[in-house]
Amino acid sequence: MGEGDRQEPAQPLRRELQVLANIPPSIGQRWAARILVLALLAILAATWPFATVKLPEIPAFVPSLAAALFVSDCVTAVLLFGQFSILRQRALLVIANGYLFSALIVVGHALAFPGAFSRSGLFGSGLQSAVWLYWFWHSGLPLAIIGYALVKNTDRAISARSTRLAIGSSVAATTALGIGIFWFVTQHHDLLPVTYVDVQPLSLFRRIIGGVVILVLGGIALCLLWARRRTLLDEWLMVALCALLIEVALASVLSGDRYTVSWYAGRFYQLVTATVVMAVLLVEMTTLYADIARSNMLLQHERRLLERAVQAQRREREARLMTGDAVAASIAHEVRQPLTAMVTTADAGLRFLDRSIPNLDKAKEAFRRIVADGHRAGDMVGSIRAHFKSDVEDRTGLDLNEIIQQALALGRGDLEKHRILVQSEPDEQLPEIRGNRTQLQQVLLNLIMNAIDAMAAREDPRILRVRSEAYDGHHVKVSVADTGAGISSQDVERIFNPLFTTKSDGMGMGLSICRAIIEAHDGRLWFTPNAPQGAVFQFTLRANTPASAAG
Amino acid sequence: MLYNKDSMTHQPSGFVVAVVDDDQGILRSLEYLLESADHAVRVFTSGTALLESGCLPEIDCLISDVDMPGMDGFGLLRLVHAARPGLPTIFITGYPDTLKQLPPLSGSNPRFFTKPFDGPELLTAVSDALRDSREQRGL
Repeated sequence: MGEGDRQEPAQPLRRELQVLANIPPSIGQRWAARILVLALLAILAATWPFATVKLPEIPAFVPSLAAALFVSDCVTAVLLFGQFSILRQRALLVIANGYLFSALIVVGHALAFPGAFSRSGLFGSGLQSAVWLYWFWHSGLPLAIIGYALVKNTDRAISARSTRLAIGSSVAATTALGIGIFWFVTQHHDLLPVTYVDVQPLSLFRRIIGGVVILVLGGIALCLLWARRRTLLDEWLMVALCALLIEVALASVLSGDRYTVSWYAGRFYQLVTATVVMAVLLVEMTTLYADIARSNMLLQHERRLLERAVQAQRREREARLMTGDAVAASIAHEVRQPLTAMVTTADAGLRFLDRSIPNLDKAKEAFRRIVADGHRAGDMVGSIRAHFKSDVEDRTGLDLNEIIQQALALGRGDLEKHRILVQSEPDEQLPEIRGNRTQLQQVLLNLIMNAIDAMAAREDPRILRVRSEAYDGHHVKVSVADTGAGISSQDVERIFNPLFTTKSDGMGMGLSICRAIIEAHDGRLWFTPNAPQGAVFQFTLRANTPASAAG
Repeated sequence: MLYNKDSMTHQPSGFVVAVVDDDQGILRSLEYLLESADHAVRVFTSGTALLESGCLPEIDCLISDVDMPGMDGFGLLRLVHAARPGLPTIFITGYPDTLKQLPPLSGSNPRFFTKPFDGPELLTAVSDALRDSREQRGL
């Protein structure tokens, strides 16, 4: 566990999410949009010579088309409101309401259309109600696009909390506007300038005026959006706008008559206007979803790899860190092996000497082997001593808070098992210390495991408090407090003695090893009772300040 | 008085004892102790080495460590008993605790010694085991 373990803080996430409404168009998508506009123009050119040719009158055509337009406008509006709730840009709210307005007026237009539901239209609409509704309907999207283009690049995201409120109030306002227009146009059509002198033909002049107003609005919208186009959505809004302008040019300016070739072609353009943005949003959504699903799969894979690596690292760390009892058991084993060999060889040697004719050669060899095994045991003890009396070169500057956290992490399994509440109180300004990382971790792990053992069989409260603090200028102090049974007064003097233990299965090496390690670091380890119950083990170490290094 | 009378004659006992332990020092000391009792000794540093040596049919008694890397003493006993049912066996262990989790060893009654063990006691156990098996074969 080198310094490399310390993770760099993660880069803050980019504030702007990549969603449909703000991804840039690919070259292919740009070309698809242009080709569609060219196709629309080609259809216009093909229809032009036959613009005034009369086709059969199908009154049911208007309401059925209106239903389709209403649904796709609504779907587009919902998708755009969804985008707004993610990006929280007002521009998206404007364009979403533009589509909602279209959806509402389409219904009004169908209701007022003469011959669709009744001869002159429903709700008292006059001869010119449908025409006026048509103009309101077709100015809705250009105006919304103008608004969208004006605010889109300067837009700051609104606060997340007011998103729902913004959607709700704008939907209410747009609905009120749509109903208001419908009410006025049907109830007070006599107040409006006359556009419809007779059922046929339309008043040419006023019809051209109305058409030109929309064309001008649309032209402004198209220019603004073209200049500020940046995203895929911008690209396809322009296509929708082009379809709308071609329709207005065809149906209002070139030929105003209903049920002609140009009139039916106009309905086709209405369908394009209403569906193109929806189609693109849905297609892109599917593509993005597939991308996300793929990245998610990769991410899961990476996460599994990472988890495995972390676990392997943790296991390795745990293998290196042993509690005092485990250290003692392993020392006992290491010493027991040569000891056994010595005793057994000595027994064999005695037997060779004990014969009626002593076999001196064999006995001598036995003594030589005993000497060799004795040295082997001596070396073993020497290496164990070396393990705890670490060289000064092994010591590095250490953050004790980090070591405390790691020791708590190692003990987490047992802490959770015994439902022990951990109160970690690190001093954030704790000075660095110099020491052997593994040994100090061993000390903390031992103290924590002791605390767990002391509390495991006790009633609540079971609280482990680990605190670090600066201490008398040149030292740091760490305390590990538990709410266990505490240490009885007659045991206090003996707890640091090797082989003293209160545990049924312990060997009593833990605290004596801890004290040996702390004292090898020129520190002190001691015990005080915890109030109202339990034990506090505290140790001090010298802070790694220039003064202490010189001293 | 501790040493049995066989060892005084210095004649080969005619018995072969196999010793398995991963610690060379203990292996050598046991070899020496058993030689002092005039047994022929075969030493192996792992159970696998014993099984692969091909000398399983000739041995009269097995002394094995319990905790060894790879195959432990109990695993070895199972395999040995498949070829030599009822072969007298003595276990030596550095961890008395392992005896608490002793698996059922069917058809055998091995003896256990904790390291460091008493040499003469071990030799007596070997002699007893050999006598028992001889009597069994005699029946």
